[in-house]
Amino acid sequence: MKNVILSGVVATLLVFSGCADKEPVVDNSDLNKQAVQEVVESAPVADNSSMMTEDMIRAALEKELATVYFAFDKYDVAGENKNKVSNDASILSSKASAYAIKLEGNCDEWGSDEYNIALGLKRADSVKKALVSEGVSESRISMVSYGESNPTCTDKTQDCWSQNRRVDFKLLP
Amino acid sequence: MKIFFSMLLLFSLSFASDATIEVIKKVDSLPSIAVEDASVSYDESFKMKFFKTLIADLNVLSILNVDRYYRKNNFDASNVLVENKDFNYVLRYKMFQGDGGSLNVQMIVLQDNKQVFGKSYKVSNTDIHVFVSHAMAYDLNEFMGESSVEWMKKKVIFIRMTAPKRSEIIIADYTLAYTHVIVKGGFNIFPKWADKGQTGFYYTSLDSQKPTLMYVDIKTASKKKVISSDGMLVCSDVSADSKTLLLTMAPDGQPDIYSYNVDSKKSKKITNYKGIDVNGQFMDNNKIAFVSERMGYPNIFSANVNGSNVEQLVYYGNSNSSCSANGEYLVYKARESSSAFSGNTFNLHLISTKTDSIRRLTASGVNEFPRFSKDGDAVIYIKNYQAQSSIGIIRLNHNRNFLFPLNSGRIQSMDW
Repeated sequence: MKNVILSGVVATLLVFSGCADKEPVVDNSDLNKQAVQEVVESAPVADNSSMMTEDMIRAALEKELATVYFAFDKYDVAGENKNKVSNDASILSSKASAYAIKLEGNCDEWGSDEYNIALGLKRADSVKKALVSEGVSESRISMVSYGESNPTCTDKTQDCWSQNRRVDFKLLP
Repeated sequence: MKIFFSMLLLFSLSFASDATIEVIKKVDSLPSIAVEDASVSYDESFKMKFFKTLIADLNVLSILNVDRYYRKNNFDASNVLVENKDFNYVLRYKMFQGDGGSLNVQMIVLQDNKQVFGKSYKVSNTDIHVFVSHAMAYDLNEFMGESSVEWMKKKVIFIRMTAPKRSEIIIADYTLAYTHVIVKGGFNIFPKWADKGQTGFYYTSLDSQKPTLMYVDIKTASKKKVISSDGMLVCSDVSADSKTLLLTMAPDGQPDIYSYNVDSKKSKKITNYKGIDVNGQFMDNNKIAFVSERMGYPNIFSANVNGSNVEQLVYYGNSNSSCSANGEYLVYKARESSSAFSGNTFNLHLISTKTDSIRRLTASGVNEFPRFSKDGDAVIYIKNYQAQSSIGIIRLNHNRNFLFPLNSGRIQSMDW
């Protein structure tokens, strides 16, 4: 009985170890292939756009970085924002690793006083802390707050106000 | 009985100087005044323009019941017009063009057909006629022996947003009738007069990598960098002797209040809280007032100028995010609703550090950016309604508000 159980365990272990051995290899090769393919695919694009300026490359990278939005009167990075910042951090550590990062804090139109500017800054600071915890070097990051003076939307709607409570990423050479 | 009355008198006298107590004066009980134009130069439209400006100024004085009818008389006429004979006072003025296009104005004040006051004015051109009108109202107020309206002759400096991240700095008279763009282009915010004489001003430039405090000398039209900080930098207040600034800076992403010595160019951190501390204001007795969210929401606190002895100053309002101090008085902005989904109401309130009373100064809408006049007689503020900004003036001792709309653009911030 003992033997049966033991051999059963060994068999199970073998099965699992077999799976464990196979999967990573297969996955890695797929990833490698994809990576190679990506490079091959993007190469001609890069060749065609040899006129593409440094600014255009930077702007394209900036577009990939997801803007982080905040709740009314709040400046903490929570919930889905955490995943967003995490994704932003991996871009900043890979494709965009050559650039310095400027975080621009913004607020909705409710107030043009110093507190609003400070609120925008604390939003930028929360994103900075989240990026640093994801391994982005602190020395690459600078911050500024524009308060309510840089709206992306100027309608008088709830949706619009929430679009303005945000932190934008700018890449600097 | 006598004792009772004298006690009542003493009681009312002791409260008469407290601006947090509302003074309700009946308009009927104010002395009446009519205005007669005796101008010889200029066309009818300019004459009317000047008349309307003067009437507005006289109304803002809040000490007279001002007749709004436009009537003409000879400057040397011995009697006032028949229509004006029942008025307590008649103000008569004559505008005439001088050498090189200068505007000259002669003013006399008549009581029972006798001249009781007179003064003459001259400015280089008609474009700045509003300042003559303001000076006439100022002098009439002095003649009537009322508390000074020095602020009427002061200039307002403000930021008009022209596009996202684009602004201009404008200098205007208190009614916004005269405006002059002093810094055009760029992204500049928070202008602050550098001295009582309004010979220069500070502002924050957001065009370079770091927010930078700039100083502009108006006479020489020269500007220079003062100090810069990562994150944010605002000049919140200038001491009475113009030597010390209260700045909000955030070198590590942490907004705190600093004092900055203009001569030594050295700054010193005053507040030290891990959340938001902003909007430092000099008060009486070596104290400052400031806005902090150290209790979980923005509210007004006081501290010694070295940062010690922090105390809560305001106990009313959900969210009090801006303040201005003058001696023992403090005016602050309170959010009366906390809605992320619809319109919000922000009202201005006045308190004294010596009493417990609170006086609400505005009734509805979005009222913000309160600033005391240097003499504490009036509060100027920004009222935003839909896409239009106005500058409001509150005469504290007369319980009256006046609004002057800006033709286009939104006012971001201002100083008086």
